[in-house]
Amino acid sequence: MNLAAQTKSRNGLTGDANHGIFKAGGMLMSEGPTQSKPIQQMRRNPPIAGEAEAIAKAQSGDAHSFEILYSLHKRRVYSLCLRMLGNVAEAEDLTQEAFLQLYRKIGTFRGDSAFSTWLHRLAVNVVLMHLRKKGLPQVSLEETLEPSQEDGPRKDLGERDLVLSGSIDRVALERAVENLPPGYRLVFVLHDVEGYEHNEIATMLSCSIGNSKSQLHKARMKLRDLLRSGQRREESIA
Amino acid sequence: MSETRDKQLRKPMNCAEFQEKLPELFESGVNVSHEEHLLGCENCSALVRDLEYIASQAKLLLPIHDPSPTVWNNIQTAIRNETDTKGSMSSGKRP
Repeated sequence: MNLAAQTKSRNGLTGDANHGIFKAGGMLMSEGPTQSKPIQQMRRNPPIAGEAEAIAKAQSGDAHSFEILYSLHKRRVYSLCLRMLGNVAEAEDLTQEAFLQLYRKIGTFRGDSAFSTWLHRLAVNVVLMHLRKKGLPQVSLEETLEPSQEDGPRKDLGERDLVLSGSIDRVALERAVENLPPGYRLVFVLHDVEGYEHNEIATMLSCSIGNSKSQLHKARMKLRDLLRSGQRREESIA
Repeated sequence: MSETRDKQLRKPMNCAEFQEKLPELFESGVNVSHEEHLLGCENCSALVRDLEYIASQAKLLLPIHDPSPTVWNNIQTAIRNETDTKGSMSSGKRP
């Protein structure tokens, strides 16, 4: 399997003239290259019945239509916030903030990209702005940059192979992601879960592309450790 | 340059060298499972399979969490406040 190709699959992020630049913490963030990825859009952004009409009406000031949009997208926005932040209270606050921004900016949505893509990007930006306001501790990648023993070759021959066991379920992976250090978690969620490219992540997080790649790899390695630990715990209980 | 790179990538590596190169290999787009080192190294083969599996499973993490009803209530209140403020200045169109 080709991991690079595999992780190219994403949520159909495409450029939108009105949302090409994101300003966060005084920094302009480019949306990155505009790419059309119809297959991935189908996977993550299938057309939602009634959405287009709701958008048009909400843009005209219809409150009920805005509520429909909230109902359609609250889960995705909240899940994104929760995964990026790992904190329910903050995730709810930022979900609220994202939809308030949507309310203020929905008039600028022109449909150049899928609405969910546009809203998703808006939500990511809200989270990143929040993290920057907090003084970057959770965006900082420095905490995970120090080489450590974890980075060395593994000598775990004989341990059960996660692939062969097929024992990773969604809940286990969710839990492991929650337990990642914040710097790792952010890059992993943005790249592997949400489908952003390294150049986009580097711009968002003000780091180098190499740094983003390195953090992603370390995040996956850490996840592997966490998942294996979970397996071992379960086996010792059984 | 790419030829030199290819030679470097294809040179037999020990575990430490292979794992150091692994992030680059993944991102280069080559099929890592065909790497020569993996032919004789079950440890690194398992590592590669695990990392590939984790990445593939991550894509399947669908949005499953719902915010509490309080979130929508707060949004409504905030919008109402904004609308009232705007309304006092001009006839706003938004809900």
